[in-house]
This record gives sequence, C-alpha cells and structure tokens, in this order.
Amino acid sequence: METNLVIEGFKFMGLGMATVFTFLVILIIMMNMMSKILNKFFPEPKPSAGTNNNIQNNNTKVIAAITAAIKYHREG
Amino acid sequence: MKYFIIKLFALMLFSFGALHASAPASTEVASAHKEETYQSKPFSEMIGGFLKSTGVSAILNPDPDELDAHGREMSNFHKSWGRIIMILVTFFLFWLAIRKGFEPLLLLPIAFGGLLANIPIAGIAGEHGFLGVIYNMGLANEMFPILIFMGVGAMTDFGPLLSNPKTALLGGAAQFGIFGTLVGAVALTQMGFADFTLQQASAISIIGGADGPTSIFIATKLAPELLGAIAVASYSYMAMVPIIQPPIMKALTTDAERKIKMTTLRHVSRLEKLVFPIMVLVLAILVLPASTPLIGAFMFGNFLKESGVVERLNDTLQNSLINTVTIFLGLGVGSKLAANEFLVPDTMFIMALGIVAFSVGTASGVIMAKIMNLFPGHKVNPLIGSAGVSAVPMAARVSNKVGMEYDRSNMLLMHAMGPNVAGVIGSAVAAGVLISLFQ
Repeated sequence: METNLVIEGFKFMGLGMATVFTFLVILIIMMNMMSKILNKFFPEPKPSAGTNNNIQNNNTKVIAAITAAIKYHREG
Repeated sequence: MKYFIIKLFALMLFSFGALHASAPASTEVASAHKEETYQSKPFSEMIGGFLKSTGVSAILNPDPDELDAHGREMSNFHKSWGRIIMILVTFFLFWLAIRKGFEPLLLLPIAFGGLLANIPIAGIAGEHGFLGVIYNMGLANEMFPILIFMGVGAMTDFGPLLSNPKTALLGGAAQFGIFGTLVGAVALTQMGFADFTLQQASAISIIGGADGPTSIFIATKLAPELLGAIAVASYSYMAMVPIIQPPIMKALTTDAERKIKMTTLRHVSRLEKLVFPIMVLVLAILVLPASTPLIGAFMFGNFLKESGVVERLNDTLQNSLINTVTIFLGLGVGSKLAANEFLVPDTMFIMALGIVAFSVGTASGVIMAKIMNLFPGHKVNPLIGSAGVSAVPMAARVSNKVGMEYDRSNMLLMHAMGPNVAGVIGSAVAAGVLISLFQ
C-alpha cells in the first residue's frame, strides 16, 4: 500500500502528459485544417479600398473645415 | 520605512499587552448572557468584562472554548502568537504587493483578507463572518475561478496561436511541471517528510500550471484545507516569473539559439478567431468532459469577444465582472490565511514544491522548443518555450525581454503569446485529467 505511492504518481504523470499532448496535437491539426478550409472558401474581403476612401473623405472634410475656420477668422 | 511601520505596530501591540498583564486580575464576570432585561452591574465589573473582550486579552489569554471556522478545536498557539505571526505575514505580503509590485491586484485582497481572518473574537472568517460568507458563496462551490476564467477568455487573443499552431506543443510541455511536482510531492510523503494524500499532492502540483484560477479551482475540489497555501504560492510565484524564469532559460540555451529570428506571423482572419473557441470546446467535450467547466467558461468569454456583436457584455467580462470577482476571490482566499490553517508544516512544503513546479515547467518548455528545432521546418526560438507556463502575459513578456537582451531587434512577444495561451488550455486539460482521476 505504502510502497506504490510514487508509482501512482508516475502513472498520473504518464496519463496526464499523454492526454495533454494528444489534446494539443489534435488541436494543432484541427487549427491547420480550419485555417485552410476557411481561407479557401471564405477568404476575407480585401479591406484596403474601403478604408482608404474613408480616410480621404475624412481628410477632405477636415481640410474644408479648417479652410472655413481660417476664412472666418480672417474676415471676422 | 515599511519595516519601521511594522516595528512600530508590533511595539504598540506588545506595550498594550504588558499594560494589561500588570493590571489587577479582573474579577469573575458571570457569563449569563441573553438576560430578558438589562441588569445593572457595578462599574468595575463592566470594565472587567470589557477588558476581557479586547483583542489584547484574547491574544494573551486565549479563550479555551474558541473553535475555528470549521468548529474544530484550535491549539493555544494558533489562537495567540500564531495570529500575530500571520498578521505580520500579511504585512509582508502588503510590502511585496505595493513596493515590489507582485501581482498587487490579487495579493492585496488576499493579504487583507488574511489580516481580517486573524482577528480574534470577531470571527470574520467563521461561518457567519463576512469572509466566511464570501468563501461559501463563491469558493467552496468553485464559482469564482470559473467567473475569472470567463474574464480571462474575453481578454485573450488567440491570433498568435492560430498563425503558428505548432507552438501549442510548448504550452503542452510546460505542463510537465504539474505532473513532475505531483511525483515530487508523493515522493516526499513516501520518504516520510510530509504527509500528503494523492489528492493533496495533485492540488499542490497544479501550481506548476502557473494559472491562479485553475489552482484555486483544483484546490477547492481536491484539497480545500490547503487552499490558502496553494493560492498564495501560486500567485506569489506567478508574480516572481520575471525573477524565476530568466536564469533557467539562459542556462538551457546557447547564444546562437537565443538569437534565432522567427518568421513573421501571418494575418489571422476574424472567422478563424470566431471558430476557434467552439472548436476547442468541441474537442474538450469529445476528449475530456471533466475539463469543460474551465475550458467552457474560458471559451465563452473568448467567443463573446470575437463575435464582435456583444461589445457591452465583452466589456463587462473584461472589466467590471473580473474586477468584482477578483475582490471577492482575493478576500475569500485570504480567509484561508487564518493561523490555524496556514501555520502548519505542510505550508512550507507547498511553497517549496511550488517553486520546483514552476522551474520544471519553464525548463521543459525550453527543452521542448529545442526538440522541435531538431525537426525540419521553421526554427523556434527556445526562449519562447518558457512562455508555455500559463501566467499570461507575464511569461511572454519575459521571453521577449530575454530575447531583446541578446538581439535588440528580435521581437519575440507575439511569438511567445502562442505558447502562452496554449499553456492556459494545457493546464485546464491537465486539471481535467486530475479531476477525472479522482471521480
């Protein structure tokens, strides 16, 4: 009874590490598969065009506001 | 300065004690309480009765009938000097948290809870004291660690792991710290130094997972009597990650290995991040349902975050909820710092085993990275192996810092976040294994 406590510990270790690694290895395989599938069938839309337009719009608005303010300041 | 204040306080305490001891012995007071009507008493008797109810008197002449929070007998040492020692210990924890910045968010509530739990007479940590109520409300039933896990999930970004999945192996290797320590703890028992059951040894070894909520979860499940020591060990070592890890990392790697540059991480789409939590949960359901309380809560938080449509819930999980629960969790754990539960020889072993667990976990992560480099493919910088112990994001920052020491341009932070979050999953799985073994 007393003698097998350390052996019990090693059994726990074997089972535990095996489970952890099995879990993570399956997870790695699933992650790779998922990325391949998702990127093939649902590729992310290229966001570059939209954001650039927005920035430009914002910029023109900002510039317009600044010009108006300067004009107002000079005239007033 | 801090020492001076502590000394001053101790001095005050002792001088009061001396004062009381020299005073004439108070007369016997009839202990008949709960009289129907208030009976007038001589003033001297009132003073005597009041003096008996002071903290000084309770510490110097412990009440022989006083029971601990579980209604068991307490030794006189634990009622008197033990409490003073524990109060000084909590002052030391204050100093660590405030001056040294060791996980102050948790260490301060824990230490203050410990301070309150060691007050005589008031019984704050007892069944009806507020610390006892907090403990029964959320710790005895493992609720708080789960809530914390939701918040942590909402804070976690799995992007770095998704863009380099194989680094998850490093997070697995670091769990060797858990099981190595388990063997160490039972070996200590075998050699007759300590007296741990397998449940207790398992609860202690989970410190090696470097994951506070998991440690508390397992400790309350398997060995609630050791909770205080395990939680304090776990959080104080997590705070000491920047001190414990670098020497081990440097000793196990060569100069060339430390300078390995890793390929840039690819962009991870939002859909991948959204599918990931569900995928992990499904895997956990299939392989190890015992781990799903932890993994389920973690992935719930992460799923809310990645869904992008429940910003308010996500914000609550990341901030208000986790902060509220942290306060309660800290105080509840602190209630286990009562002298009669903490000042036992086991605590010393737990502290020692905890640091062994941490070091073994760090070392096995680094060694695993070196093994991975033996195989063809992109090389892994072994310094990120140490981040496999959970301790998010502290361990990843340490990897980055050590890497920068050898090559200023080598940014390892994002690479190290992969094994870091995999470590959280890994320790939750390890916890699930331990739970399932005792069911």
